[in-house]
Formats: sequence, structure tokens, C-alpha cells
Amino acid sequence: MVAAALVAMALLPLAEIVARGLFGRGIPGAGPFTQHLTLWVAFLGAALAARDGKLLALATGEFVPAGRWRDATRLFSSAVAAAVTGLLLWACLELVVSEREAGTVVAAGLPIWVAQLALPIGFALIAWRLVDRASDRRWGKAVAALGLAAGLAAGWHVFRLSRDFALEPEPFGPALPWLLLVGAATLLGAPIFAALGGAAVLLLLAEGVPAAAVPAETYRLVASQMLPAIPLFTLAGFLLAEGKASERLVRVFRGLFGSVPGGTAVVCALVCAFFTAFTGGSGVTILALGALLLQALRQERYSERFSLGLLTASGSLGLLFAPALPLILYGIVAQVPIEELFLGGIGPGLLLVVLVAAWGVREGLRGKVERQPFAWREALAALWLGKWELLLPAVILFVILTGIATPVEASAVAVVYALAVQAFIHRDLSLTRDLPRVLRECGVLIGGVLLILGVAMGLTNYLVDAQIPSRLVEWAQDSIGSRILFLLGLNLLLLAVGCLMDVFSAIVVVVPLIVPLGVAFGVDPVHLGIIFVANLELGYLTPPVGLNLFLASYRFDKPLLEIWRAALPWLAILGFGVLLITYWPGLTLGVLELLGRR
Amino acid sequence: AGAQMTVKLASLAPDGSIWDLATEEMGADWATATDGRVRLRIYPGGVAGDEPDVVRKMRIGQLQAASLTVGGLTEIDDAFRIFGVPLFFASYDELFHVLDALSPELERRLEAKGYVLLNWAHAGWVHLFSSRPVKTIDELKRSKLFVAAGDDSTVQWWKQNGYRPVALATTDILTGLQTGMVESLPSPPLAALLLQWYRQAPYMLDIGIAPLVGATLVQSRVWDRISAEDRAALLASAGRLGEKLEREVPEQDGEAVREMQARGLEVVAVPASEEARFRAAAEEFAERVRGERLPPEILNQALAARGAYRARQGAAAGGAEP
Ligand code: NA
Ligand code: NA
Repeated sequence: MVAAALVAMALLPLAEIVARGLFGRGIPGAGPFTQHLTLWVAFLGAALAARDGKLLALATGEFVPAGRWRDATRLFSSAVAAAVTGLLLWACLELVVSEREAGTVVAAGLPIWVAQLALPIGFALIAWRLVDRASDRRWGKAVAALGLAAGLAAGWHVFRLSRDFALEPEPFGPALPWLLLVGAATLLGAPIFAALGGAAVLLLLAEGVPAAAVPAETYRLVASQMLPAIPLFTLAGFLLAEGKASERLVRVFRGLFGSVPGGTAVVCALVCAFFTAFTGGSGVTILALGALLLQALRQERYSERFSLGLLTASGSLGLLFAPALPLILYGIVAQVPIEELFLGGIGPGLLLVVLVAAWGVREGLRGKVERQPFAWREALAALWLGKWELLLPAVILFVILTGIATPVEASAVAVVYALAVQAFIHRDLSLTRDLPRVLRECGVLIGGVLLILGVAMGLTNYLVDAQIPSRLVEWAQDSIGSRILFLLGLNLLLLAVGCLMDVFSAIVVVVPLIVPLGVAFGVDPVHLGIIFVANLELGYLTPPVGLNLFLASYRFDKPLLEIWRAALPWLAILGFGVLLITYWPGLTLGVLELLGRR
Repeated sequence: AGAQMTVKLASLAPDGSIWDLATEEMGADWATATDGRVRLRIYPGGVAGDEPDVVRKMRIGQLQAASLTVGGLTEIDDAFRIFGVPLFFASYDELFHVLDALSPELERRLEAKGYVLLNWAHAGWVHLFSSRPVKTIDELKRSKLFVAAGDDSTVQWWKQNGYRPVALATTDILTGLQTGMVESLPSPPLAALLLQWYRQAPYMLDIGIAPLVGATLVQSRVWDRISAEDRAALLASAGRLGEKLEREVPEQDGEAVREMQARGLEVVAVPASEEARFRAAAEEFAERVRGERLPPEILNQALAARGAYRARQGAAAGGAEP
């Protein structure tokens, strides 16, 4: 079902481009239908992720010793997560009922409330899986089911009060103890969506705002106009990762750069940047390419520590290149044109790649690693073989910048392009054998991420409701004297945020706080976006929630501490790059000025 | 009654714009007039979301009031689509007369949906901006016309009438103009100035397309909890605010046009014969969308009120002639 919805999502925008081109009028409701399909992809995907036990969680739960203690914490965190899910389920029903009363339509007579059913159905399936996976024993599952029942009862209580317009602030007493409970469960391994969603509902209820305010924002984000670009570009990345594209790319970059000192290290930085641009910090780069690249590095006698550090750090290179998901999400949340972020990211993205590559060259010179001589024939042959993959980013920017397609439509083009290249030109991917599996895997990943983003929007809603952004602007204007000081404070704040939050929820929750400040201090919105994403790139390498650290530890089978030590010098290099990006606006805005957009 | 309450009001009006300042003034008025019993908390600049999101938040009870334009009002009731029919109104005077006639019915419809109308807060008059000069109705039909994505029925209206609507997000307008994906867009002059659209679409058609009608609404269930005495004071304050905007907004639009002209905007004059063709096409347009989510009785009532106004004006003009 997720697979079918994803396919429909890719085909609708394409049909729209063709119809618009041929008949000049497009397809009725193509846009709204695609947006609401995203809602279904997200929540069915999230339900699949819950079924596979792949809902993103903090890894702190892994520090609990295995055995009885681990079982107990798993049960506790699952029961609390199930309770939060029960509460959210009623919140979604409240939204659906109110939407049904209003009689709103998506297009062509399809009521919005029917499309919104994805939310309660998704949460119901997730709740069921949380209970089922809470324990291996029957009594354990029963305890988790009690947690769910408590959440459902609480949800029903506030649902009835809200429907009667009788909801008062703090319906369950002060929010703090409940927040602490959710926080504890999160540290012990409850899924992140439960932490964000639980905090959002509890804080809003404490203000007397109905719980439906959380799913209302989830719906607003996940069914928004630009959002379909995120699952579609991810799917394109998955399709590329599935075929032998990575081997072809390694060969291309090796043919071109293998002869310089530290050539293989440079190749790693380039290949990782290329892949991450498509898979967008989801860690697919490390998982898909890590083993291949580590082998290449070790063969050429780069030290283990150097190789691990390079690959862990390179996993987040490329987040500033089109069509990286953080850029798209930033554009949606901050209302900045997405292609301007794409163009603005080129300079800073190249800077980071060059810095990492330069460090690799230095290692190559120092370690006297053997080099291969440059061969024109091999370089050209490799380029020719890899031409289709290499052209994809250019194709995307071309269709957007010539007005053939919107960014969402361009993402659909990317999917079909990647599929055609992998399935028909290189024949690396079978439509019947591989495609359904790839679609499902992609749905699981997208569902997990969009679920978190959706509930994080609920938390943002609380911040806006409490007028925190405007108070922050007042405070900052009174107490921060200059733009330089503001930017310095921003660097520090985002570094801290990156330590605690993943890049996507950070964008959803923190961007609405930062954007008005950026305007107040005269920072160009595109530059602010690039600073934001570049800063959070560092967060992939900072404990305790550094996603790349965990993925590298998992993929290379090394202790977390060792990976972290190996990544430390790279963190310093990237940190230097981020400072350059922050205080040199021309690096970001130069391309836009060249194209007459500034 | 008697207890304190906070009314949360959202609007798309930018922080610090004349609409926002007027709303803040109203909030201060309300607090004084009710001795702090009714306080207004304002969420300007779209921080609470786009208009459909704001309406949704009012329905679920997070917000209690909003200043909405046609986009949000049609989310509540289809009757407000009358203000989206292109070239239906020829002037502010005509609009005010028709609005007077329609108000009781519109207020009744709002009440049925659980809202009380506080005032009409006008947001300006929409003009057509284009990247190449558009002088004739045929040129307009050939031009790729921006239509705000989200409300599919408006898109269908334009298609049925032989135009080439391109549904895009408002944030994509500038890029759309740069890349040629859209060639013309309806916008109030102030928005075209503030959002820099006129730089890519430097031709403005001299005929106003439609008024951007705005209204401030509050939910009945909140309103009913306020004492009758306080309600009268609040309404009076809201009315003053509406009148103030009625005066200031057209002036502001005029200033915006002059400002853009100084920076290269060309106002495209339309010959009288072609203007008649524009008006005729508009009449056809209105007839064709009758019943297409535009309630026929509203269209009839509006046509009757407009006809009466035009007849009076014609008679007055005729009488003035020798
Ligand atoms: Na981190
Ligand atoms: Na203000």
C-alpha cells in the first residue's frame, strides 16, 4: 500500500508536467492529491517502521546493561510511548471530526477528513506495534497495553471536554511531572516522536489549548505543497543506492582524482557528498557506501583511525547540495524559495568538500600512500559509464530553473530518471524483484522521519501560541548589539541544538524562532538557511545524538567511543568551514548575485 | 460574563503593517473599554499559518478570532467567492454599495457557521501584473496566469473560461516569473511592491481585477460569553478600525503604485473599446461559475444590488448632462 502510494505520488506530478506542456492546462487537483498522498505515505510508512522496530530513538537506551534491567526499561519506555500514542490518537480523531463538520474538500469532491484518516489509522497501528514489541512475555505486553489504555482514557477525557468547549488549562494537573515521565522514557529508549508529541500535547493542554492543535500542525506540514519533494528525492536516492551507481561513481572520481596525493580520500569525500545530497542525512550514505569505501582506503594503507574518521565525517557532506532534504525542509518552514537555497548551497558545500579533501591530501602526503598514475583513457571511460548518474543533479536544476517544473515536479522527474537509469540503462535493478522492496524500505525511512517532523510541528505550535518567537526577538534586539554577535550566538546555539536534536526536528522547531531574529539583524534569509544547515551538519558528529556516530559504529562494528575519537579532528575541520560560511556571506550569495537574484 | 478572557486573533497582515497596527489599536481599545475583561492576543504575519490553517485552528478551538481575506472566508462559506469573481466590481463605491446589500445575508451565513462579523477590513484592490504587457483579453487568455494553489475550484473557474491558470505556492511566484512558468499574476499593488514581484512583472493593467475583501471574525461561542454592554463597546471599536482601513488602504495602494512607477513599473492603459471587451468577458465569467461552488442566490443578489447602483449612477450622470 505504501509502495502504491509512493508510485502514485511520483506519477501525478509527471502527468501534470506533460499535460501542462501539451494542453497548457494541467490536471485538476494534481497538486492537492499528491500532497495528501504524502500524508498516507508518511503514516503508513511510520506504521511499517513501528512494525520493524525502526522508529528512531535515542541510543542512550543501549547503555542499560542487557538482561533484566534492559527488559524493564524497554517495557517502561514502550508503555509510556504507547500512552502518548493513545493520547495523540484521540487528538487526531478530534481533528478529523471537526474537519468533517466543516465539509472541506481536497479536490474533485474528496473530503479532507477522509484524507486525514491517515493520521488516526497510523497512530492506531503504531500503538499496537509498540504494545506488541514492548516485551517478549505476555504479561509484559499486558503492562504496555495498560499504558495504552491509560493514554486512550486521558485522550477521551480531553476530547470530550474540547468538543464541549469546556477545556480548562492543566486538565491533568501541572504538566511538569508528566513531562519528566516522558523525558525519562525517551532517555531509556522510547521513540523520539513520543517525546516530541508528548511534550507538545502536554504543554498545549497546560495552556488550555485542545490536543487537536498538534495533529492540525502535523497535517499542515505533511500535506503542505513542497513536502512531496522530500519522499520523492529520497526515493531517487534509494534507487541510486540500490544499483551499482556507487561503484561507477567511485570509478569516475578515482579516474579523475586517484593520481593526486591522498586521492582515495578525496574520492571518498566526493562520492559521499554526491550520495548524501540525495539521501539527505538519513545515514544511507554510511550504510550503503561505508564498507566499500573503508575497504578501498585500508587497501591503500590509510590508518584505520583516519579512514573511520573520514567516512564518519563524509557521511554528512553534501547536505548543502541540491536536492538535499534539509534544504527543502528549511525552505518549507522558513518560506524561502527552495531553488535559491539550492543555488546558495553550492559555494559553502564545495568549501566543506574542499576542506575535507585537503585534509585527505595532507594525510596522503604524510603517510606516503601509494598513488596510481593518471590515465586519460580510464578517466574518460569511467566518466562515460557514470554519465547518467553524474547528470542527475544538473537535470534537476535545469528543469527547475527553466520553468519546466516546480521543485516537487522535479523530484518526480528525478525518481523516474533514477529508475530508468538503474532499471533500463544499467539493468542493475529488477522492476519485479527489487522495486517493491526498495519502495517499502524507502517508505519505512520516510515514515519514520515525517512522523517526527509532524509531531515536532506540534511543539512549534506551542512555541508560537506562547508567543516565544516574538519575545525572543524583543529580548535579542535589546541585549545583542551587532550582527556579528548575533551570528556568534547563533553558531553556539545551533551547536548545542545539534548535540541534542536531529537535523530535521531542529529545523522544524528552531527555524521559526531564528527566522524573525535573522530579519531583525539583517541576515539574508538564504544565508541564514545555509548557516543553519551547515551548523547542524556538525550535529551529526556530536554526542549524544550524533546520528553518523551511531551509524558508523553500527556499520563498521567499532565501539562508539573509538568512532568519536576518530571523528574529532574532522569535527574541528568542518567547524572551521562553518565559521567561514557564517562570516563570509559572499560565499553563499555570490551565485545568486551572478544569476541576478540579489 | 464578568470573567477575564483572552481572545487569540491571527492574521496574514505583516507585523507592523497598517492592518497589524490597526489591530493592535483595537486590542488596546478593547482592554480599556472592558476594564481588562477582554484582552486581544495578536498573531500577525502568518505565524499561525496560512488562512485555511487559521480557520482550522479556530474550528478546533486554539484561536478565537481572525482577520481573513477571501481565501480564508471561502473556507468558511462559499458565498464569499463572489468577491473572487474577476472584474465584478468597478470601484470601491460600487463595492461598498453591494457589500451593504449583501452584508445581512453574509452575516447570517457566518452566524450559521458559528462566527460573528466584527468588521470588514479591506486589504486593497487586486491588479494584474505581468512580465509582458497585457492589453487585451486575448493576450490575457494566452498568458500563464498565477493562481494560488490549494483552492482547486478557483483553478477550475479560470480553466473553464479558457484561461491558462498555473497553480503555485505564493513563495514560488518570484521564481515562476523568473523562469517563465507564470507570466502574469493578480496582486494588490502593496503586496507586489513589498514582495518585489513588480521587478519581474513590470506591467500593471490599469483595470482593477477584484477587491481583496477582508473581514475580522470572532467565534460566536466566545462572543456569547461577553456581556452585552462589553460586546457593544468591542463592536464599536472594531467598526472604527474598519472605517479607518477603508480610508487608508486605497491611499496606500496608490502610493505603492507611484513608488513602483518610480522604479520602472509601467501602468498599461486599456482603450475604452477593449475595456468593454474585458467587462463583457467578466460578465460571461460570472455566469459560467454560477453554481460552481458560488451560490446562485448570492450572485443574483449581488447582480441586483450592483444593477441598482449602476442605474442610480447612470441616472445621476445622465441628469448632470445637459
Ligand atoms: Na548531534
Ligand atoms: Na505588531
